[in-house]
Amino acid sequence: MNQIVTDGIILSRTDYGEADRILTLLTPDHGKLRLMAKGVRRVKSKLAGGIELFSVSTITYVKGRGEVGTLVSTRLVKHYGHIVEDLDRTMLGYELIKQLNKATEDHPEPDYFNLLHRAFEALDDFSIPLDLVHFWFIAQLLRLNGHTPNLQTDVDGHKLQAGALYEFDFEAMCFRQHPSGHFGATQVKFLRLGFTDHVAKTLMQIKGITTLLAEVAPLVQKIQQFYKH
Amino acid sequence: MAHILLIEPNTVLAETYTQALQHVGHSVVVVTGAQAAVDAADKQTPDIVIAELHLPGHSGIEFLHEFRSYTEWTDIPVVLNTTLTAAQLAPGVNALHRDLGIREVLYKPRTSLQDLVRVAREYIAAVA
Repeated sequence: MNQIVTDGIILSRTDYGEADRILTLLTPDHGKLRLMAKGVRRVKSKLAGGIELFSVSTITYVKGRGEVGTLVSTRLVKHYGHIVEDLDRTMLGYELIKQLNKATEDHPEPDYFNLLHRAFEALDDFSIPLDLVHFWFIAQLLRLNGHTPNLQTDVDGHKLQAGALYEFDFEAMCFRQHPSGHFGATQVKFLRLGFTDHVAKTLMQIKGITTLLAEVAPLVQKIQQFYKH
Repeated sequence: MAHILLIEPNTVLAETYTQALQHVGHSVVVVTGAQAAVDAADKQTPDIVIAELHLPGHSGIEFLHEFRSYTEWTDIPVVLNTTLTAAQLAPGVNALHRDLGIREVLYKPRTSLQDLVRVAREYIAAVA
């Protein structure tokens, strides 16, 4: 039997029978895998070792006849252990894993693996505010799903103007000029950066980040909600 | 009466809670950490779990995700008795109820022994 070696991040775990666990992993080159980890049900490996959440592991597995393969071994590459030192970061970490699990098909692009890996790095770094990590993750997930809003032109196809104010039109997924709109050039510029392929920490260099986040994070969350329905 | 898994890192509080719960006829297993809680549930399935979130080592959140990932433990009522305030819990409180099936959150500094006994009785009765 051919053994396959790849990196993986645990997305979910469930039990199987008396002693086994089925793990769903995200990998950079084999999409999503469902692997049976034998004999780990009632040993101390729960909450520890190479099948721990918030970590990247090198896994060796054998493909099964059905959709579930068999995990042969794991080696922890990097555990983002600071995340679990903070309850809010832990809860957001679980939420981001859940969102990514829901958003991805069985054969997601490697970029999804990279996004989750970068999200763990950001959550693990306490200098990056939690709301920034959350905003950045949603924007990046929307981008990977092909749901980046139009941040260049308005509903009429005119280029967004520096002195104008806008409201967001969810049906058209772009801005509409409005005399008392909540979004100006600064907010649009920040949104463009949020949807660009950067790590979360890059956004921290922006002046007035706290105010900007308060202004644009609700919009990005609403866009995400829009695509859920 | 019921079997209660009490996850409480403060030994004085754990002893007090245990006495109150035993006084009304429950059996109580006390653990101070997440891994010990999983092990205790493995040894004897609890009828209800009363848990603090602030634990040494793995947090209560980690325990709850692990606990809920086992099908036979999915429906066991879990009540939080925590020092975290409602404001501190606010960002994730929906996820606590929706994803982790938390039945009730008690603010420990304001929770009397009678409150704890009442909550245990209420949720044990609900699954009986």
